[in-house]
Amino acid sequence: MNFIVLIKQVPDVSNIPEEAWDREKGTLRRNMLDNVLNPLDFHAITFACQLREKFGDESGKVICLTMGPPMAKEVLLDGIARGADEAILLTDRAFSGADTIATAYSLAQCIRKVEREIFNGNREYIIITGMQSVDGDTAQVPPQVAEVLGMEQIAYAQSFDFDKRLVVKRIGPHGMESIVPKRYPVLITTTACTEPLYRSFHGMRGAREKTFHQWSAADIQVDQDKIGLKGSRTQVYRIFSPSEERKKECCFPKSVDELIDLIEQKYKQGPVAVQGKVGQVYAIGDKKPSYHGELWVYIEQWKGHVAPVSYELLAKARELAVPLKEKVGAVLVGHQISGIAKEMIARGADKVYVVDDPQLEYFLPMPYKKAVSSLVIQHKPQIMLFGATPLGRELAPRVASSSNAGLTADCTKLEIEDFIKGKVEMIAILKQTRPALGGNIMATIMTKDCDTQMATVRPGVLKANEPDPARTGEIIPFNIQITADDIRTEVIARESLVEKASLAHADIIISGGRGLGTKSSYDKFIRPLAAAFGEMFPGKVEIGASRMAVEDGFVPHEHQVGQTGTTVQPKLYIAFGISGAVQHISGMQQAEIIVVINKDPDARMFNYADLGMVSDFQTVIPQMIEAVKRRKKS
Amino acid sequence: MKEIDVLIIGAGPAGLATAIRLKQRLNAEKKDASVVVIDKEPKLGFHNLSGGVFEAGCLDELVPGWREGEESFFKQTVEIQNDELYFLLPKAAFKIPHLVVPKLMNHIGDYAVSVSRMAIWLGTVAQNLGVEIYLGFSAKELLIEDGRVKGVKLMDLGLDRDGKKKSNFLQGETVHAKVTVLCDGSHGVLSEQLSKLLPPAKNPQVYSIGVKQLIKLPPESAFGNNRAIHTLGFPNRFDVFGGGFMYSMPDNMIAIGLILGLDWPYGDLNEQQELEVFKTHPLIARFLKDGKIVAAGANTIPEGGYYSIPKLFTNGALLVGDSAGFVNMEKIKGIHYAIRGGMSAADAILDALTANDFTEKILAKYEINLKESGILKELYHARNFRQGFKYGLPIGMPLSQIQSFIPFPISIEEDYKGTKKGRRLNRKKQDSMDRAQFVALSGSSHDENQPSHVAIPDPELCQQCGKFYAYSCTHFCPGEVYRQKDGKIVLSPSNCLHCQTCIIKCPFHNITWTPPEGGEGPRFKYL
Repeated sequence: MNFIVLIKQVPDVSNIPEEAWDREKGTLRRNMLDNVLNPLDFHAITFACQLREKFGDESGKVICLTMGPPMAKEVLLDGIARGADEAILLTDRAFSGADTIATAYSLAQCIRKVEREIFNGNREYIIITGMQSVDGDTAQVPPQVAEVLGMEQIAYAQSFDFDKRLVVKRIGPHGMESIVPKRYPVLITTTACTEPLYRSFHGMRGAREKTFHQWSAADIQVDQDKIGLKGSRTQVYRIFSPSEERKKECCFPKSVDELIDLIEQKYKQGPVAVQGKVGQVYAIGDKKPSYHGELWVYIEQWKGHVAPVSYELLAKARELAVPLKEKVGAVLVGHQISGIAKEMIARGADKVYVVDDPQLEYFLPMPYKKAVSSLVIQHKPQIMLFGATPLGRELAPRVASSSNAGLTADCTKLEIEDFIKGKVEMIAILKQTRPALGGNIMATIMTKDCDTQMATVRPGVLKANEPDPARTGEIIPFNIQITADDIRTEVIARESLVEKASLAHADIIISGGRGLGTKSSYDKFIRPLAAAFGEMFPGKVEIGASRMAVEDGFVPHEHQVGQTGTTVQPKLYIAFGISGAVQHISGMQQAEIIVVINKDPDARMFNYADLGMVSDFQTVIPQMIEAVKRRKKS
Repeated sequence: MKEIDVLIIGAGPAGLATAIRLKQRLNAEKKDASVVVIDKEPKLGFHNLSGGVFEAGCLDELVPGWREGEESFFKQTVEIQNDELYFLLPKAAFKIPHLVVPKLMNHIGDYAVSVSRMAIWLGTVAQNLGVEIYLGFSAKELLIEDGRVKGVKLMDLGLDRDGKKKSNFLQGETVHAKVTVLCDGSHGVLSEQLSKLLPPAKNPQVYSIGVKQLIKLPPESAFGNNRAIHTLGFPNRFDVFGGGFMYSMPDNMIAIGLILGLDWPYGDLNEQQELEVFKTHPLIARFLKDGKIVAAGANTIPEGGYYSIPKLFTNGALLVGDSAGFVNMEKIKGIHYAIRGGMSAADAILDALTANDFTEKILAKYEINLKESGILKELYHARNFRQGFKYGLPIGMPLSQIQSFIPFPISIEEDYKGTKKGRRLNRKKQDSMDRAQFVALSGSSHDENQPSHVAIPDPELCQQCGKFYAYSCTHFCPGEVYRQKDGKIVLSPSNCLHCQTCIIKCPFHNITWTPPEGGEGPRFKYL
């Protein structure tokens, strides 16, 4: 068995030097950041090397492949020093400006050459890669590579067993799945699941003597129209500072009661800044729109339960459809799902396309892609939205790749607007805004040269509509043939996810820092407050701590929030006695609502807070617990 | 794989100059020998910090033509045309007339540089000549067999915080070499190991710590270009040796710093805070108006001088640069010695390669080359300069001016003995930058799931330290690696700036420092 590991050199967003900020514009100077190997790729390399060992095949090779500028050779040498056998640098000016579609095509052509020339046509190989890179953070390239090459993907792999055959354990949309590939080649994306292998000094020294290939566009026989900017279907047209999206001004309530009221209010209200501009509705007038067709939403469901994000998207599609004067379509794929089709109409759909097939009971990328793509190719909607859920991130890239669509990942804002610049005139297009470079900058992206503008949208940033049972619409069944060739992996076991203490997925985090003084006050104050919040608010509550508090032994390391602990993005983050070291702030500043309580009015944390209180935790926390309990009763 | 002929530990000016000179001469003579530089830093320059004024003549010799071209390193340097020395009282500044300032302390015609930028440039020059540079590898100890240095052993990797092996454990690799050149900087881990095996110098090495910031000023700043200011006095009392500096840097930036002799008597002296105090002086504050701090860092400087220089060579190994103690306090400079010293070492190594003999006998030529290059002469002239200041500024100052006539070495003690029981500075905490921000600006970070690279062998002593010396490490560590909690010291090794102050200054000599996993620590880019 051979292995191709796709790796990428990325700017180091975990360690942004002060001079890299353009404070006036609020954006980052990317060229001032250090270049490093994408963090997940360490795991991909390690995963590949561990698999190579398990397969125990003498001739099995691990080949690292990257596409990038000549200096990306550095990460390839790094890959070899960690255990890879060979490396390929795909570099050419013609590749520059590529979006994920063009990148995936170029990589796929390169992989075909590897298969032909290095593996001598042997198709027993596995492509392994991290699911996403920290710079683009789209998670689109791996599924699109798999799509172009016509192979199945196993995303979010956590570990593997090897007993005569390979069993990959992965985090599926609804729990852990044990998957056996029935056919090779297959593509696996890894989570941060290994202790990454170190570079060995002698490996590093020997790296230069190992086989190292540098290939250009001509070497891999590409269609010039499919690479670089020309082959791209999306283009960034504006980069701006996240603070423009989200102006922070810390409000200091006068009493604890008022504080809890405000927390409750903000928590229920959800994020505000990402909603479209109120009162400014796009009017197309008598201009001719650049795109035509319906606005579609992919409905994510599980045994008849619809993911909330799908309703949020229906509401958004409804809103966008008004100025475009087009219909909203919902795409429903699964088995025994006709029962929920009506609900889609009540939530805003005019048409519901239903693909119902026993083979579609569980999500599998290739069959699902076949269902959705067939519909898209046939109807050519002008917009299609997916939830940026694990499932959406697996499915949407393949659908976009196999139909004529451009895709933007993880949007937080969608608007209809014109784009006019020089000769380019695009009317009533979908403006897609998303965070990039680890949330440090925002980018607005538009789709070009294709039929459908696709986007995945972050769950929870848009508002769903209340169902309106009086709405009418059309339910359209759609049949496709799922053949044996479409089912290339076998899921041999499914288990529900064991809920572990996990800061990364918490909705509410109550954090304590060194200001609490002792472990006993951490236990005495933070834990009961967390318990009280757990009773009052829906959602998962976790306790967190600053690095210093962990060093002082208040709580174990898995509760550490920050760059060197866990980077968190809860709805609500409450910090007690945390002064705000940079490494802490970079790990939690993406929280929606930040509440800071500190007796030092100059604590840096207040600069990041929505709500603040200059007070001692010993006074405030008991009052908070009491206030929360009172509300729970009433 | 080719065996390593010359292994250089440390990718600073000394190590890179050694590598460059050696490869140049090897290439000129069409000889092939592998020259390998390793460093624990993740990228070139990240672990290099210096005050930053140096005598550029050595570079004309090492890299002829270095001043030419639009992209040259020369473009990143600033020639000093204005050189001033001030004596500061808390509210006043007295300019010391040019005539009175000793000639050797003159900096006109020198260049202000960022030594991290210099290391990046030298590294590129070296690589273009065929030098192999591997970064992110921490050397743990010297390999010594039969009284000869045979290379180094690297750190074990993949241990968790409790010292247990993780699944990715990698046993520390051994790296053999015919000759090992130790350029691991001030109080370097390996050079310290070697020094312990060699006959001691007349005096122990003494150090100072330099804390430095780079400040971006608005255009048309009052400080002006091509200027250097040195200060004596404030914020230091007479019993703290040291002074401040401010240099013009490219792009409207200035480097500002404070260098303090680590033999200070105060248990609670915090040099990071002292720099903040220094910045409040009217003379200084005026220049800093509307400035923005873009980088910060700290490092130690070996300043004992001639009589503290250890034996510089042994079978299979040489010492160059800061690890050899090549700093001239009379000139307050050392970079040019690092470069010239590297060149002298390279010439000796070439002879050894030619003779295929790496014993002391051949490597002793290094010392002869050093003499010929004038380094030892200059250092000899300054041989008693630093020691006199142990009596305080009022005696040290005049003494330093006649020191070259003193016929015997003035002795000096290790720095940690300088801390005096019960002596306190009791400085009020400054509102400006604190150590957490200072660390953030240094860019330092470490994986926390590894054994702590700093350790306190006997925690009992900390109680006594608290009583007599105010838990000295909680004050002197510029990274705030040490914090006191209920009479115990809590460690934050992740903050470490790799400056070595703690090992030098702990009043009980009760701190050990081993290199953390490679590729960690500070990220100095313009310091």
